[in-house]
Amino acid sequence: MGYRETIEKLCEAGLHPGKTIMATKKETGKELVGVFPIHTPDEIIYAAGCVPVGMWGGKTEIQLADKYLQSFCCSIMRTNVEYAMRGSYDMLKAVVIPTFCDTLKCIVENMKLAMPKVPTIAMAYPQHRKLKAGMEYTISELQRVRRELEKALKTIITEDSIEEAFAVYEDYRATMREFVEEAAKHPEIITAKKRHLLIKAGEYMDKAIYTKEMKEIVEGLKAEGESAFKGTKVIVTGLLSEPVEALEVFDENNVAIVGDDLSMGSRKWRTPAREDVDDVFMKMAYRIADQEGDTFLYEPDKRKGQMMIDMVKEKGADAVVVMMMKFCDPEEYDYPIYKAELAEAGIPELYLEIDQQLATFEQIRTRVQSFTEMLL
Amino acid sequence: MAEEKKLTSKELLNELTAKHYEGALQAKAEGRPVVWATSICPDELLNAMDLTTVYPENHAAAIGARKEAMKFIEHAEGIGYSADICSYARVNMGYVDLQHAEAQDIPLPDLIFSSTNICNTVLKWYENIAKKLNIPLILFDMPFNHTYEVPDNATAYIRGQLENAIKQLEEFTGKKMDYDKLAQKMEMNNATSEWWKKATDWGKVKPSPLNGFDMFNYMAMIVCMRSSEDGHKLFKLWYEELEQKAKEGKGPWNSAEEQYRIIWDGIACWPHLSTTFKLLKKYGINMVTSTYPNSWYKVYETNDLDGMARSYTGNYANRNLDYGANQMEQLIKDFDVDGVVFHSNRSCKLMDFRTYEVQRRITERTGCPSVIFDGDQTDPRVFSDAQYETRIQALLEMMEKNKEAKRRGDI
Amino acid sequence: MFLGIDIGSSSSKVAIVDENKELKAVSIVNLGTGTNAYQQVVADALQQAGITEADIKYTIATGYGRMGYKDADKQITEITCHAKGVNFLMGDAKTIVDIGGQDAKVIKLNENGQVENFVMNEKCAAGTGRFMEVMARVLGCSLDDLSPMADKSTKALSINNVCTVFAESEVISRLAAGDKVEDVARGAHVAIAKRVAGMCNRVGYSPKVVMTGGVALNANLVDALAIELDTPIEVVPHCQGAGAIGAAVFAYEIYNK
Repeated sequence: MGYRETIEKLCEAGLHPGKTIMATKKETGKELVGVFPIHTPDEIIYAAGCVPVGMWGGKTEIQLADKYLQSFCCSIMRTNVEYAMRGSYDMLKAVVIPTFCDTLKCIVENMKLAMPKVPTIAMAYPQHRKLKAGMEYTISELQRVRRELEKALKTIITEDSIEEAFAVYEDYRATMREFVEEAAKHPEIITAKKRHLLIKAGEYMDKAIYTKEMKEIVEGLKAEGESAFKGTKVIVTGLLSEPVEALEVFDENNVAIVGDDLSMGSRKWRTPAREDVDDVFMKMAYRIADQEGDTFLYEPDKRKGQMMIDMVKEKGADAVVVMMMKFCDPEEYDYPIYKAELAEAGIPELYLEIDQQLATFEQIRTRVQSFTEMLL
Repeated sequence: MAEEKKLTSKELLNELTAKHYEGALQAKAEGRPVVWATSICPDELLNAMDLTTVYPENHAAAIGARKEAMKFIEHAEGIGYSADICSYARVNMGYVDLQHAEAQDIPLPDLIFSSTNICNTVLKWYENIAKKLNIPLILFDMPFNHTYEVPDNATAYIRGQLENAIKQLEEFTGKKMDYDKLAQKMEMNNATSEWWKKATDWGKVKPSPLNGFDMFNYMAMIVCMRSSEDGHKLFKLWYEELEQKAKEGKGPWNSAEEQYRIIWDGIACWPHLSTTFKLLKKYGINMVTSTYPNSWYKVYETNDLDGMARSYTGNYANRNLDYGANQMEQLIKDFDVDGVVFHSNRSCKLMDFRTYEVQRRITERTGCPSVIFDGDQTDPRVFSDAQYETRIQALLEMMEKNKEAKRRGDI
Repeated sequence: MFLGIDIGSSSSKVAIVDENKELKAVSIVNLGTGTNAYQQVVADALQQAGITEADIKYTIATGYGRMGYKDADKQITEITCHAKGVNFLMGDAKTIVDIGGQDAKVIKLNENGQVENFVMNEKCAAGTGRFMEVMARVLGCSLDDLSPMADKSTKALSINNVCTVFAESEVISRLAAGDKVEDVARGAHVAIAKRVAGMCNRVGYSPKVVMTGGVALNANLVDALAIELDTPIEVVPHCQGAGAIGAAVFAYEIYNK
């Protein structure tokens, strides 16, 4: 099978999470543990012999979730609660939910009720992640999650197995860093939609298997000649680059994503582990401490704007596209700060308000097309 | 020399409010630093360092009550702030640029002192202000307590932050922390908190001498004067007045009798304060309490940083659903209320997204009727008179029915 | 001859320019995408210009229905077309406010009259033609009567709600409380103006501010917006047809490039 076929296969996998998850279970024989956005300690789950699967909402009609949530709640969280109440998650052995924002704090509480058959493991990350007391807190929470997983899965998670799992994830992260580099060089092959679906597929697959496939794609891209792409190159920022229909509009208008600052994207892998640290829990704590420009992690000097400006220059991008998940407070707070910085740097920026239940894409089509016309 | 006229607590409240803001403006004018702090933060540390502090949440509420929030909100939305984020934050962001409000002016900060026990929102809000004004930020990250009690690892983490904050303050002021003075401030904080709690507990008496909408006004001072002599004096005086009223059998208002007693959950709709208050009063409905009396009941052993940490991270908003529902149930019983009004405050997702379940649990456990209405703490656009009126009338009908059943001996 | 067609959500517009880039026809029908109105409006414009379809050398479609118009040589968005149209009709505009049936846009132009930046309203209908329709219905008048009705207002009254559904109930309760229809109508205009002014702030507007789109014919709204922005607002001639005119000018330019 050529790497182009692997691309198609993974895109299919990314497009149909439910099917992919069941295939993963069948193929690996492993149990599944759900992980909410963002920065969950997937390595510990993997070390327990399970596959962590991302819980990023989806497109569906919200009916049941209204029992717990008002309409002005982020659509990913409303969808997750909806699926939980329908029993769609009952095949999971546990669900890990971090509390990075006010909405997630409440969702943890509601999920305990919405999904009575599956243990909910809440976890808090410190915002003072660089402080000694913060690092200790991260480790104590990671250890607590480990113990709770052991209880839920009726297994022992050894330090050795966590180290092995961490190595698998480091390999995944290194591969993904390489992938986004190569993808940027070939927008004619890795279109905006494909880029997203390829990344998304990783959320539902065993990382060892997924990484192998991604490596094949990276090698395939490296072997390609110079790209003749003449369209618009953009950097995207936000929680995730969905809905897929919006990306189809990107593709229609020859808009390629050559770099990202997304939670389902580079924020997952742009910070490598420290090599001079031995203890695997310390390594995990440092990955949180060392992460920069992340919307969900405290950073008083707020480097996101400058990071995007640098990325635009490095990748030769024409503009930044903001994929703003409606009702995502942390993302909405960051916007005015980097908006001003981008303007100051003379970088055009397109703001798209998105939500997973969007039914019509006419306005997005108009915005994207107008934006490309403006950049001509 | 004529004897000084004894002020009522309300007069004292107004006087202290004026003094608080004038003091801050004067400090700025004299080149002394000004701190901006969040409403439930360990500001004993600031007071021990003699730092002048203002509280933007109080300020935004005052702007809202004065009905001039839109000017600031529109400005903030103009520079890119979403209409979906907290309106206190939007007012404050607008104020940072416009720097003048009819309600009250405040000096811009030289230092931020922010604590996430009330929400994650303040983390982002003040990160932005610190970045914009290029000033230092002292953050207390108080993780959400998803277990019933405050866990030990969180206590240790917050204690570490308190120690770190003292270091940061020492760097900022260029002087060492005076631990004796800090101990005094802690003692004063405890004492004032006790008077605040005791005063608001008068709402338990029937009829209640306390009108809960007054409590909203006094709240501004428990935010900013817990560890000051002035605050101590104010809440003691308020307590004594309520005690006197209770002894005389006086209810919340002079012009009307207390017919029904309710809990108001959430903050006031400041721009519609009088509309919301008057309708309740029209039906003799008195708000006798809320979750706020306990939120500023900050009592811990003096010099015990672990206790201080537990106390500050242990407020209602930072606790899990089981705790929240139990608290509400306890309030319903302790204050013998007839109903609960939940303010689905568009600004406060942390409260809102637990409201539905809290409501279900209290209904199940106590049978106490309740309603939820849509509003916002300062954005006047998110409130509908008609909806509010209909919901309150529905509550009234349910409360009447219960009362009638009680009279007939059915309950 | 060059044709521009703008198929919106509630109206269809066609403009034709000749070989000298002079405007020869502008035709408007108040039926939008999803109808067959475009056939009618194209026929009318051709007749106005005294030509037949065969004379058209290049066609550009714009508006929400642009993708569905099969006879177009190219599609360009209404943002870009409005900017082009305004630039063609009056050269010195810096900011364009265009309020359509489904959405409102504010377009910032550079010194060459090209789009520098733009914002559109979010999902909420407040500040759009749809909001006006709801208000007209609640106030029991036609869309056209809304402006003259509001002109009679003597009392400033504010409609607080931004949500169309909420605003509707607010207006009903205002009327029930005895407020006059003209004051409520004015209040509704001011409410829209405030929303649009917010978008102007967001894009960083500068004078001269001009208005296009059918809603620009509502003088009371133009007045309310001028007050909110504290700057005069000019209504572009053929305001409803500005997008179609821009498209026709593009057709001319692209063909002759």
